[in-house]
Amino acid sequence: MTYPEELAELIEEFKEINDKMERLEMVFDMADEVIPYPLELWDDNSRVLGCQSEAHVHVDLEDGKVLLLAGADAKLVQGLMGILSIAINGTAPAQALLLSPDFAEEMGILNTLSPSRSNGFRNMFDKVMIDIRGLE
Amino acid sequence: MAIRDDFPILKREINGFPLIYLDNAATTQKPQVVLDAMNNYYTSSNANVHRAVHTLAGEATEGYESCRTKLKEWFNAERAVLTSGTTEAINLVAHSWGRANLSEGDVIVLTEMEHHSDIVPWQMLAEERKIELRYVPVMEDFTLDMDAYAASLDGAKLVCVVHTSNVLGVRNPMEEIIELAHSKGALVLVDAAQGVPHERINFQEFGADFMAFSAHKMCGPTGIGALLINPDVFEKMPPFMGGGDMIETVTTSGSTYQTDEHKFEAGTPRIAEAVGWCAALDWMSKLDLKKEHQRLIGIGRWVAAELRTQGMSVYGRHEKHDSAVVSFNHPTIHSEDLAHLFDARGFAVRTGHHCAQPLLNRLGVSGTVRASFYLYNTMEEAELFVKQLKEITERFG
Repeated sequence: MTYPEELAELIEEFKEINDKMERLEMVFDMADEVIPYPLELWDDNSRVLGCQSEAHVHVDLEDGKVLLLAGADAKLVQGLMGILSIAINGTAPAQALLLSPDFAEEMGILNTLSPSRSNGFRNMFDKVMIDIRGLE
Repeated sequence: MAIRDDFPILKREINGFPLIYLDNAATTQKPQVVLDAMNNYYTSSNANVHRAVHTLAGEATEGYESCRTKLKEWFNAERAVLTSGTTEAINLVAHSWGRANLSEGDVIVLTEMEHHSDIVPWQMLAEERKIELRYVPVMEDFTLDMDAYAASLDGAKLVCVVHTSNVLGVRNPMEEIIELAHSKGALVLVDAAQGVPHERINFQEFGADFMAFSAHKMCGPTGIGALLINPDVFEKMPPFMGGGDMIETVTTSGSTYQTDEHKFEAGTPRIAEAVGWCAALDWMSKLDLKKEHQRLIGIGRWVAAELRTQGMSVYGRHEKHDSAVVSFNHPTIHSEDLAHLFDARGFAVRTGHHCAQPLLNRLGVSGTVRASFYLYNTMEEAELFVKQLKEITERFG
């Protein structure tokens, strides 16, 4: 998979770190990259289902480009939302839809990408992609 | 330490750190003898059980049925149906006994402490038969409200209660619960999935009518469990699943069924798993379970106290008959984040609602981190766990 330049650099940065706890710390730091989706707007439409943490996403178009607003109570999920924001914000929907969720595994953050109750990331990623498709 | 040496998986490293496995309430690890027994079965004796005269079929049948025999000895039970686990065992009661005996307006008493596997089958039956479900509340001290329980028994036909909570580790006053239910004419089903790994239960003395549990929580394989049934109740229970092995005769106009446990065991059963469970029971029979339980609850109590000192919210009381399960939440770090951070240092702990959402609603939380200790866990591991939590708090809290 070829990733957008900024994400590819990030993946390389992650790969250079051997300690998983340090990698997690880096993901936690990425939580700041998220454009917050205001708490008062969180509802069933924005909720990421099957997620252990309370996680919400909202995808919009700004001048024809994707804009992801999001929020989660778990830092790992919010950090991954931040990384996803870096990857898709400002891109055309069709381009955003080309993104594979494998980057989280390549970064050595998650043990598995299979959708599961313990894997908020995959559920969140899938919802964002479905919502982007809905914009087209 | 001898017990640990029997478990090859405990020599693993996770993320460069020695594995410290504290997810035993979800499933336990398997000693080498269990792995060998299952491997030997498939290597040397694999065949389908029952109706065949060849040697392999005889060995497979012997292996499968010896598990039943061993369970009857272990629990002093007259009837032991082999199922896929606790969940199937409870569903079996709902489908067979429930459909034959319950109708509109009947009452089943459950508790807020139940695992989903002891709630959902009854909700499905309740919807189908218009049965009333009553839930016994859990109190502030993490125990069942026994006054509410006694009051809920009026008109009840069945009481379904968890022996030991998978979230709190609280061991319920089963003897009192069973006696009260029987005095009101209700039968009792016990979800003993978390109880039997820690406590040797004499089923006949215990007095329950049904007891469900799984092999994998007591060092056996996944995919197999059992339902012990009071013989008087057993005789009147119809089969609930049709197929091979559960019949006496089949003609185009109808079938007759076996009258022993096989009436509930349609299809090819879990033969290798039964062989593995047998080996697990043999392995466990060499241990002093009472002594091990005392050691483990001592560890659990110490961890709970240390965690409270560190500012955690701990759910449970950790009294002498409870299991060594420590559920808690960090004041500032989300439970899911905490579990990932522990994993980064080799600790396996569980997070989430632990399939007990009504209980977590009662506790006012959506999830907890749960560390659960079993036979191979040591005080040193508990100390490392407590120390690791402190380090995580210092860095991320």
